[in-house]
Amino acid sequence: MSHLTIAMPKGRIFEEAYQMLIEAGFNLPEEVEMSRKLMIEIPEEQIRFILAKPTDVPVYVEHGVADIGIAGKDTLLELRRNVHELLDLKISQCYIASAGLPNTQMNEIAPRIATKYPNIAMNYYKEIGEQVEIIELNGSIELAPMIGLADRIVDIVSTGRTLKENGLVEYERITDVSSRLIANPVSYRMKSARIQELVSRLKKIVS
Amino acid sequence: MSSIKMFEKPLGMRDTFPVTYEKTEEVRQIGREFLRARGFDFIQTPSLEYFDTVGKASAIYDAALFKLVDSQGNTLVLRPDMTTPIARVATSKLLKEKIPLRLAYFANVFRAQQTEGGRPAEFGQMGIEIIGDESVFADAEVIITVIHLIQAFGIDSFKITIGHAGVLNCILKDYTESTEQADTLRTLLVERNYVGFEEAVESFNLPKTKSDALLQFISEATNFVTIQDIEKYVRKNDALEYMQQLMELIEVAQLSEYVALDFTLSSHMNYYTGMLFEVFATGSGFALGNGGRYDGLLHHFGCEAGATGFGIRVDRLLEVIPSKSSTVQSIGVIFEEALFAKALETANSYRQEGKQVTLQSRKGLVDEKAFAKHFDEVVYVSREDLAK
Repeated sequence: MSHLTIAMPKGRIFEEAYQMLIEAGFNLPEEVEMSRKLMIEIPEEQIRFILAKPTDVPVYVEHGVADIGIAGKDTLLELRRNVHELLDLKISQCYIASAGLPNTQMNEIAPRIATKYPNIAMNYYKEIGEQVEIIELNGSIELAPMIGLADRIVDIVSTGRTLKENGLVEYERITDVSSRLIANPVSYRMKSARIQELVSRLKKIVS
Repeated sequence: MSSIKMFEKPLGMRDTFPVTYEKTEEVRQIGREFLRARGFDFIQTPSLEYFDTVGKASAIYDAALFKLVDSQGNTLVLRPDMTTPIARVATSKLLKEKIPLRLAYFANVFRAQQTEGGRPAEFGQMGIEIIGDESVFADAEVIITVIHLIQAFGIDSFKITIGHAGVLNCILKDYTESTEQADTLRTLLVERNYVGFEEAVESFNLPKTKSDALLQFISEATNFVTIQDIEKYVRKNDALEYMQQLMELIEVAQLSEYVALDFTLSSHMNYYTGMLFEVFATGSGFALGNGGRYDGLLHHFGCEAGATGFGIRVDRLLEVIPSKSSTVQSIGVIFEEALFAKALETANSYRQEGKQVTLQSRKGLVDEKAFAKHFDEVVYVSREDLAK
């Protein structure tokens, strides 16, 4: 059996995905010590988990230092890394939408969009035939329309509560997001049997 | 933009240090002997080509091309691959002399980095092209050659995945209702987005038989062991028959164990008209190389002839090749000024034995001990040593 390195996002998604693997019959310890460790070895299953920042998972997988990984569709769309997208795990489901102050139009001359997803935002507005200027922010995106930095924001929405509390309304729903199982193209070939087996076991849990 | 510091190189450009240089030379030599023994002639083409000819015809995305302007205002490109320049020279000149052509190359190609480093923007590529042969035997020769070449480098753990544009097109056409749907699905396959493929199939509202077939196809298509597995998805057609013949030839060559079928394999370039394949090896996170039949490219250069070939990336090959220590013994000869003649004589006699000899005067050395560490053996030509 070949050794498998799995890149996992730290935090809530790790726990959900880890539970899925246990349900799928992998012999993993019930409790993992999630202190400050970045690598967890599971010798019984010949699996090694590496714990990365969620947006970095596709990078590890693309370079082949991790064979497979779990990454949000938002990250995949934004980074456009060369990885295989194998399975929708249907966890941490949410969507990306544009939002802004209620009853406002976008500036006609140079509409400004604040977002931490510059590529997704740019592509979306290109598709609908709007030329926009992107302002990249790293957090508290909702601030931008409130203080006049941007006409719209493009951000992830799960319940819509953050938007509401900041007096913003959703305008367009751009795309659905959930966690995906991704694979490195070479690992997908060279460790094909192992990865396929993992996919089919997880697939049963998902549906 | 911060200003450029003196030590910096353009993004993705790399220096080749002695160890890598030697390893590359070894790869070149093994590859050269191997390919020449199979009747492939090496050729070289210029580093610069016109954007309107080679640049536009190349399979490499426009954003990855290095562009410059010549004194007449024409846009030039640094060659982004070797297949396109070879197609240019073959159609314009060589094909008139001899058909079919078997050409080989070992050359650097240039692809600009768009976002980040970690990947070279200039790298060596080694490959072959068989031009002017439309038969299945040419494709079989390409696949057999790539397998034997990889073995010649001492690599054991590798896989060739083969698909066929014609078979995939047939499936996509038969099970969708419009060309747009087929194109959408093909784009998703180029991106290797299997999840997106399933979602797209569901969103098309196809008749249940069609959508079920597509969903089943996508779940099995990367795992076909034999060519019979695909037969239930496609009506009998030329492409399928071609693949059957190709797999038989590979079987005859006793190389089936290195080959896997993947009928989802698709290229963003439409000139890949027939069989296409990718090469993977344990040890690199990226594909080692790829190849296929590209009759469409020759058509682009105004010539109706078959062409097929492969290219392997030398930088990735170096990651994968098992390292072995050099067999040549290195000797440092350190001499005192007055004994230069004696030192020359000593060095030459070692060189005649086939050893690698460095001649160094003691006067020019700052740290003799540190210098001596670079050699398997150090010989001193000094008065005291001679006295002994």
